[in-house]
Amino acid sequence: MSSGEKLLRRQRNLIIFLLIGSLLLFSWLKHQSDRVARKKVPGSSIIYLPSGKYLKHITFGYSSLVADIIYLWAIQYYGNYEIPDRFKYLEHIFSIISELDPKYVDPYEVGALIAVYEAGDPKLAYRILDMGLEKNPDMWIFPFQAGHIAQMQKDFEVAREYYRKAMEIPGAPPIVKRLYAHAAYRTMDYQEAWEMWKEVYETAQEDWVKEIAYNHLYRVKSTVDTTALGELVKKFREKYGRLPSDLKTLVRVGLLKEVPKDLDGKDYVYDPKTGEVKPARVWWKR
Amino acid sequence: MGKVLELEKVYKSYKLGFIPKKKPVLKGVSFYVNEGEIFGYLGPNGAGKTTTIKCILNLIFPDSGQITIFGEDSLKPKARRRVGFLPENPYFYDYLTGREFLTFYADLLGLHGRAKEEKIDYLLKLVGMERAAELQLRKYSRGMLQRIGLAQALLNDPALVILDEPMGGLDPIGRKEFRDIIVNLKKEGKTVFLSSHILQDIEMICDRVAIILAGEIINQGYLGDLISEKVLYTEITVAGVPEVDFRHLGESVSSSSDRVLLKVYEEDNIEKVIQLVQQKKGKIVSLVPRTETLEDIFVNMVKNQ
Amino acid sequence: MKITTIARNTFKEAKRDRVLYLLFFFAAGCLLFSRFLALLTVGDRIKIIKDVGLASISLFGMLMAILMGTGLVYKEIDKKTIFTLLAKPIHRVEFLLGKFLGLVLTIFIMTGLMAAIFLLILFLHTFTVEWKILLAILYIFFELCLMTAVALLFSTFTTPILASLYSLGFYLIGHLSWSMEMLIKKVKSGAGRAALQVLYIVLPDLENFNFKTEVVHNLPIPAKLLGISFLYGVVYTAFILLLAMLVFRRRDFI
Repeated sequence: MSSGEKLLRRQRNLIIFLLIGSLLLFSWLKHQSDRVARKKVPGSSIIYLPSGKYLKHITFGYSSLVADIIYLWAIQYYGNYEIPDRFKYLEHIFSIISELDPKYVDPYEVGALIAVYEAGDPKLAYRILDMGLEKNPDMWIFPFQAGHIAQMQKDFEVAREYYRKAMEIPGAPPIVKRLYAHAAYRTMDYQEAWEMWKEVYETAQEDWVKEIAYNHLYRVKSTVDTTALGELVKKFREKYGRLPSDLKTLVRVGLLKEVPKDLDGKDYVYDPKTGEVKPARVWWKR
Repeated sequence: MGKVLELEKVYKSYKLGFIPKKKPVLKGVSFYVNEGEIFGYLGPNGAGKTTTIKCILNLIFPDSGQITIFGEDSLKPKARRRVGFLPENPYFYDYLTGREFLTFYADLLGLHGRAKEEKIDYLLKLVGMERAAELQLRKYSRGMLQRIGLAQALLNDPALVILDEPMGGLDPIGRKEFRDIIVNLKKEGKTVFLSSHILQDIEMICDRVAIILAGEIINQGYLGDLISEKVLYTEITVAGVPEVDFRHLGESVSSSSDRVLLKVYEEDNIEKVIQLVQQKKGKIVSLVPRTETLEDIFVNMVKNQ
Repeated sequence: MKITTIARNTFKEAKRDRVLYLLFFFAAGCLLFSRFLALLTVGDRIKIIKDVGLASISLFGMLMAILMGTGLVYKEIDKKTIFTLLAKPIHRVEFLLGKFLGLVLTIFIMTGLMAAIFLLILFLHTFTVEWKILLAILYIFFELCLMTAVALLFSTFTTPILASLYSLGFYLIGHLSWSMEMLIKKVKSGAGRAALQVLYIVLPDLENFNFKTEVVHNLPIPAKLLGISFLYGVVYTAFILLLAMLVFRRRDFI
């Protein structure tokens, strides 16, 4: 090898050595930077999005794609319980999604559910579902769901109004009529809810309706199961002075015939330290 | 007298095309250049002249082989410290003026202050570009670019000057001036490496040559050794004697109203032609012996390949 | 010194690039227009001007860095001005570094000009000058330096159009690092997760240079992060330049 080639080889080795060194160094630095906490502002990037009307023009015909992306982001965002202030712009975000892609069913449903069960704001849920109905007058599921929420809030006037709207839309299942009738005098109990959603599930023509019904069924079953299991755990504690190590223990001592599984067929999650029983997944996330 | 530049068995192939196919460009090129000589590197277009020069200057990396400049391996930058280079069809930063252009390279070479200014002035004068020094390079003609390019090549007072087709695109006056500059460089003790496909220029100024054809050196050596002094034929222009009379003495190339141009091959026939003209009271207008030229050798070599 | 000579020459060449001024014109336009964007949205007007202003400087600065970086080296190779340059007793590495410094100088000046306009507009609205904004712009500049190195790297071995696309890709990946972090949390541990983690650490995280949110919402900027981000920028830029050197030193100029 000539002296020139030796020199070139040495230079190349030096460069490679420095490359590896700098790679390790910046990797370490990145790791360090991740450890520094940075305050996040909820939806900071999204609140400066102009309202859906204008955004639609900017997205050059890709509005449904952008709606998808924003929706995906929103799901992750609202599923992240670490951000306490996250519901401030819920309506704005979901209204953007509805402007971009009015026919996209999921966001209305999920937005309403987040509003009711996570943010505790049923009026917001009504607004979102109203938006959905306005853009999709043939979707009976929106006023149906609103009626369901109203009924849970024991607001039978509102519930009756929504069931009436749902009833008038062609394609609504027969149960809506019955609910309309009963809304005035009956409160929802779990048996009723189960029957209602079961009927929806069985008579549903479209897959997405089936899915919505299934998720509601999941919730009913998991609520019933986890409440019952919770009670049994308490009974066990009263009897034996300590918490059971797992749910099978309840079967062994005869308090339970067999450990129930959720509608997906999965086990419920039991925390032996606190005695809490939880379902395996968040019921509205698919 | 040492070897200023030496190439030993230099091979280079290009990988071309989407599915890389090896195209050999240099197939074992070996030659050397002595100190203080003007060396001619000739070959037809596409033979590999420019590739060889780029290998020498480390713009291209040979696949194998060794190149030494002043004893240094050409792969090291310091080998080029005493080398000046003028590329074929030179392109330079066209928004700079001639003077700014030379200043840039002078800075790069580490010249500064008074010495730098004086050098630039001297070189501008040498290549005859004093008046155009403040013009932007974009306004230069081809010939002007060539000259300023030569000035740039001489900035570091190089001991070896490499010129790639320097006379392409120059008019006859320009070519003469360039030839004179090159000969002067030799007088100053510099070595000149000159590549060209214009054989007349090479013949006029080079001491040694190497001929490359399709990536191989097919001949190299002193010009004098390559070209014999042999007379191929003699051209005689005669007036006042009809063409017919010379039938058996020579080949008539052309004839007009009273002039005949003859090609006479045998030496004896020359005497006979002269006697005949005297007899017929004609006149010998000119008598020119044609010796072998570089072009003849070259054409023969190419034909034989 | 050779590197500074080439840097000066590169700067001279870069400031003649018309694309630069076109982008600057658009940036200035956006900055002026931010005032009107406020009318279309929900938030506080000043916050919007700050947010849009910083975003514009970042976006157009990035385009400048990429377009200039990919264009300049390619032009030299294509127009063969590089032959006479590299025929001198100069290391190819010195050539690259000189080009890089010249480009960085150009970007610095353009960023400075955009910052001046931006601060002027803000001053007209608030009658104060917030130094935190300059800090955010400074870190935008560091990000631009890294992008310049990236553009230079790609221009050493491919055409300007492809090099620009690759650089843009690098920029996008750099700003989506957080999504990879989220993805990793959802993947079960194992070989796949380990591979993703390695990728996550090695791929650039350009959000480290992004202090727009903190500045616009008046949140505190942890000093430790400033230091780490700066070092991260320096080391990653060095890494990219080293890669460029590796490619460039053995390149044949046919």
